[in-house]
Amino acid sequence: MTETSATSRPIPAAPGYLASALRIFDLSIGEMLWSKRTIFMALIVAAPVCIALLVRTLDLLGARIVENTNMPGPAIFGLMIWVFYLRFMVPVLGVFYGTSLIADEVDDKTITYLFTRPISRGAVLVGKFFAYLGCTVFVVLPSVVIVYLLIVPMRGSLGGSFIDLVKDLVLLGIGLAVYGAVFAYVGAQFNRPLLIGLIFIFGWEQAALAFPGYLKRMTVAYYLQALVPHAMPSDSVLGLIQSIFRESPSLPVSLAWLAGICLTFLSLAASVVDRREYVLEQ
Amino acid sequence: MTKQTRYFLVASAAVLVAGLGVGLVAYYGGGFPSLSASRSGPSELSYVPADATVVAFANVREVMDSELRRKLKDAMPPEHGQQEFQNLTGIDIERDIQYVVAAMTSADPRDANGLVVARGNFNTTQLETLAREHGGVVQDYKGKRLILCSEVKVENNEVPGLPERHPLGHTMALAFLEPGLMAIGSEQAIKSSIDAQLTAHSITSNAQMMELISDIERANNAWAVGRFDAIASHARLPEEVRGQIPAITTFAVMSHIDGGVTGTLRAEARDDQSAENLRDVVRGFLALGKLQGQNDPKVSAMLQSLQLSGTGKTVALSFAVPAEIIDMIPKMHDGGGPRPPMPPHAPQPPSPPQPEK
Repeated sequence: MTETSATSRPIPAAPGYLASALRIFDLSIGEMLWSKRTIFMALIVAAPVCIALLVRTLDLLGARIVENTNMPGPAIFGLMIWVFYLRFMVPVLGVFYGTSLIADEVDDKTITYLFTRPISRGAVLVGKFFAYLGCTVFVVLPSVVIVYLLIVPMRGSLGGSFIDLVKDLVLLGIGLAVYGAVFAYVGAQFNRPLLIGLIFIFGWEQAALAFPGYLKRMTVAYYLQALVPHAMPSDSVLGLIQSIFRESPSLPVSLAWLAGICLTFLSLAASVVDRREYVLEQ
Repeated sequence: MTKQTRYFLVASAAVLVAGLGVGLVAYYGGGFPSLSASRSGPSELSYVPADATVVAFANVREVMDSELRRKLKDAMPPEHGQQEFQNLTGIDIERDIQYVVAAMTSADPRDANGLVVARGNFNTTQLETLAREHGGVVQDYKGKRLILCSEVKVENNEVPGLPERHPLGHTMALAFLEPGLMAIGSEQAIKSSIDAQLTAHSITSNAQMMELISDIERANNAWAVGRFDAIASHARLPEEVRGQIPAITTFAVMSHIDGGVTGTLRAEARDDQSAENLRDVVRGFLALGKLQGQNDPKVSAMLQSLQLSGTGKTVALSFAVPAEIIDMIPKMHDGGGPRPPMPPHAPQPPSPPQPEK
């Protein structure tokens, strides 16, 4: 008996929560980056860069775009941040990636391999969330920088708009984190997460922002839009109505709420993954 | 993490760091605007004193040659004032003046010093003779020829707190600064202008104003920039009104006049919060205007051209009056006024009831 215990290999201690999450991050970021979903992300991220390139080329060829639109480079850059990134790219990437963090593993029937590891199930979700954040941040933010370098010098100064660029990068990072956390929970909790996510961003958020009252406080966009340093465009009827009833919470309030939403939904998502039994279809 | 993933992340981070680095260098290095600022604006800015609170420019030739001017001329009844002015001074406003630069060197109404510098073709002999005929005195100031007119007392109807008649008026002066360059303004303003040019202490050495000018002077044939805070602090406004004035430091108005008019009003607020408040106010007015004007497509089209933009402390409102709107101005040649609207057609009398067969 003594001999047997002496020859048996000691069981290594299970890694801690953060170490587990980082291992999952390391494993997942490559998978996430080279997945088919990245083609979709590349397309929507490339769109503003291509438009900026086209605008700049036409401007260099003497098309007088700035003069005809009466908008200098920094104003066009602000408009692009609103229209392309804040209203579309950040929520859409949050939905597509956030809802798939666990759902993809379930669909591929590979979740068993992760859950049989000696790590917390919640850490799997947190690690995948970090991978999502790394993947999207390293694709979206460079495109913002390229758009800034192309557009802002058109009757604007790079130096004068630098602080706004930094604010934009920070708020886009925060937006990706918060939307990702919200939809990670949706993906972990509900059966049709993509549909729910799309209804949330294109239905609920748009409608709630257009009504006066407290409803808009139950959206992510309300707090995120308060951080934007650029003027809000009111180019559509919905945008017009939203601009009438727009309220801007203060910076600390917005940041506190966004941090609260992110941590709450990430904790909820981890808790759901910890408790829920995922039945794989045969 | 695979090598491929690592390379991608490094390349992505490199783009991010490079872009931020360029922005940071531009931000701390004084930026590219200061490099271009010294070269911006018409050369006559060297005659505008450095402490000017408002500077304006108008390319008179371009405006006079514009389609808009032609349409307005067609629409308005013929007037003879321009011809009389030409007979007196020898200046044909439509052809002889290329552009003007105007400035206000003090915001205080007690000491308002206006200055207009005009570039063009002027008959100096005729102008000097005219000034002498009206009591003008010729004087030499640092090598420039000045014609001083007698002091004009100004009736005070608008400035509260000042006596009804007060020495607000200045000795007006006309100066021939260079061949083809003339200045009109108060004696003090003209002398300051000459000093500014000789000592190189002109508005071109004022980085704040030159940055504003460099931003707007290209592609606009009329513009004005100014320090709103300086004007507001000297304006004799009631306390109630003064408290409602937004915290604006500088303003810029720019427009391009051609077939129509396009332009932008831009204000620089004291801080981001003030700018956001101002944007909210403007946005509210715009939204209300757009909702009110939805029934009228012409008004709606015009209001749609109003575009609020701006970043950080900047608030900008651009507008466009297209040539189609200008075309709607009624011609005032016939009968001295616009044609009255046609009376509505008289309603047809009701048909008499038909007896049943």
